[in-house]
Parts: sequence; structure tokens; C-alpha cells
Amino acid sequence: MSNQPRVSANLSKTGNVVRDSALGLVTETVDPYLRFNHAIWHNGPLTAAEVELARLRNARKVNCVFCKAVRYDIAIEAGLDEAKVEQITDDFNQSELSEREKLILAYTDYYLQQPTAMTSEFKQRLTEEFSTAEIVHLSLAIMLCNCFSRCAVSLGGMPEEDLPRMQISVPE
Amino acid sequence: MTWFTEANTQQDIIDRAPTLAPTFKTFYDSFWQLSSAPPSLLELCRLRVAQLHQSDYQWQHQQIKLSTEKRQSLSEWSKSAVYTDTEKACLAFTEVYCMDPQAITDAQAEAVKSELGDAGLVALIEALGLFYGMTRVSQLWGF
Repeated sequence: MSNQPRVSANLSKTGNVVRDSALGLVTETVDPYLRFNHAIWHNGPLTAAEVELARLRNARKVNCVFCKAVRYDIAIEAGLDEAKVEQITDDFNQSELSEREKLILAYTDYYLQQPTAMTSEFKQRLTEEFSTAEIVHLSLAIMLCNCFSRCAVSLGGMPEEDLPRMQISVPE
Repeated sequence: MTWFTEANTQQDIIDRAPTLAPTFKTFYDSFWQLSSAPPSLLELCRLRVAQLHQSDYQWQHQQIKLSTEKRQSLSEWSKSAVYTDTEKACLAFTEVYCMDPQAITDAQAEAVKSELGDAGLVALIEALGLFYGMTRVSQLWGF
């Protein structure tokens, strides 16, 4: 993995964390990304705490150091605390997380590892717990988080060691 | 019809989340009008992502019309003369991206940048994330 950012020239300085990043170079996608990201965190049927569970599971599996360090304030306000975050490990099935939370993490793992391998029993458990709109929301949230964590890794410049925890707002 | 809804296409399923579908569609559509990465180039990469995932659903989808020759030769793009240097640099990047983005080398990134510039490299990386995600979600949903 490259320790040097692969893109650094002519980045803007607007004060917006997304617009001032390398993503700001692709002007046509910035606003659509910000609006879609806003919708994922604010407009879907899942709570922000549930979306954050999937985001952090993805961050740890992709090993995006920035993503792992971030906690979105909207998720904390919705009930996610560090005691829960600490249970987002490979042993989450033995954790004290609720069955609904475990299903979110397991679905995220299927996306990350083997999306064609879901069993009929697991699909049934999902449909008993989640509405169609909730499954779509979870799927799109995982996709978006995975897309941009892989983006951060691909662009290089990722610190080798974990960063301190950072509580921030969802970029607007 | 899939395991959790009677909708028949990926887009129809996304429409079942009406508070998210419009912004998702705008986001997805924005990738097909980039000044830094031509749609035909991104379509080649999207199809290569589909091939690497063995996703017939995504392979059958046609976002942008390509020549039959370019579609048919895609699995052997590195040995084919039908692809440009730009396309080959992006397809090489696509393959490593799908395996492990941590394995992308500076040389592979530079090869894309030399063809498309900084913005083109970022656009390609974003687009690959979207294509990778759409492919995996379609597989989760049983397509």
C-alpha cells in the first residue's frame, strides 16, 4: 500500500472535507455523492446507529484507517456507543449485540466476502426482521461505505497506524 | 423476483426505498457524463468487474454500447490489439482494485494518471467502487 497520496495537486480549500479532498477533482460527482450520502444517513428507514454498525464493520474489513477512526455524531445521538463498537469484531455472533444488529453485521460480511453464499435460512431471518425498504437501505449503505473506503485506500497516503477516534458530522 | 421482493430488476428493487432511490439514481447517472473519464472506458471497466465476479446479470446489462469485438475480447484484453493504451491501463487497474485495493502499485496508478490525469484517476477509482458495489449488491439480491 502506498504511503504517499497519489493525487495532491490543485486541491481546493473550501472548508468542506469532501470538496477539499481528491474527490473534489471530479466535479460532476461531488454534489450527487453528498446528496446520496445525506439520504443514506438521514432519510432511510434504518437508524443512523444501524448504518454506523455496517460502516464500521466495512471499515475494519477494508482496513481504511480514516474510516475506522471516524464516529458520526448522528449515530451516537441515535444510540451507538463505544461498548457496542468494541463488539464489531469477527466474533460478533458471540457478543451482546442484539439479533438485529448481528444480522446487519452478518449481511455486511456476506457483501464483503461472498455475496453469492447467503443461505436460505439466513435470508429468511433477514426478511423476518427487516422490511424490503430496510434491506435496500442496508445494501446501499454498505455499497456506499465500501465504495469510499476502497477509494481512500486506492488513493494512497493511508497512515500505517490507527488514528485517534474522531467524532464528526456527516459531510454536507 | 428475488428472495425479499417481487421486483424483477436491481433498479426496481432500489425503487422500493423511495426516500433513497432518486438520490442514488442521480449519483449513479453522474458517472456517465464525466469530462475526465469517457463513458465507453468506464463501461469496459464495469464489464470487467462483472466478469471478475462471474455476474451474468451485470454482464448482460448494457449501460453504453461498445463494439462487439471489445465486449467479446474483454477477458483477454491484455493480449488484444483492439484496446487502446488508456483502456489497458484502466483495465489493469480494475483487476487489482477488485482483488485488493491495498495491492495497487504506484506504477499502476501512474499509468492511469498519465492517460487521464489526476481527476481521471479519482473518477476511475470512484466508478470502480460503484460498479463493484452494484455487482455485489445484485449478487446479494440473487441476480
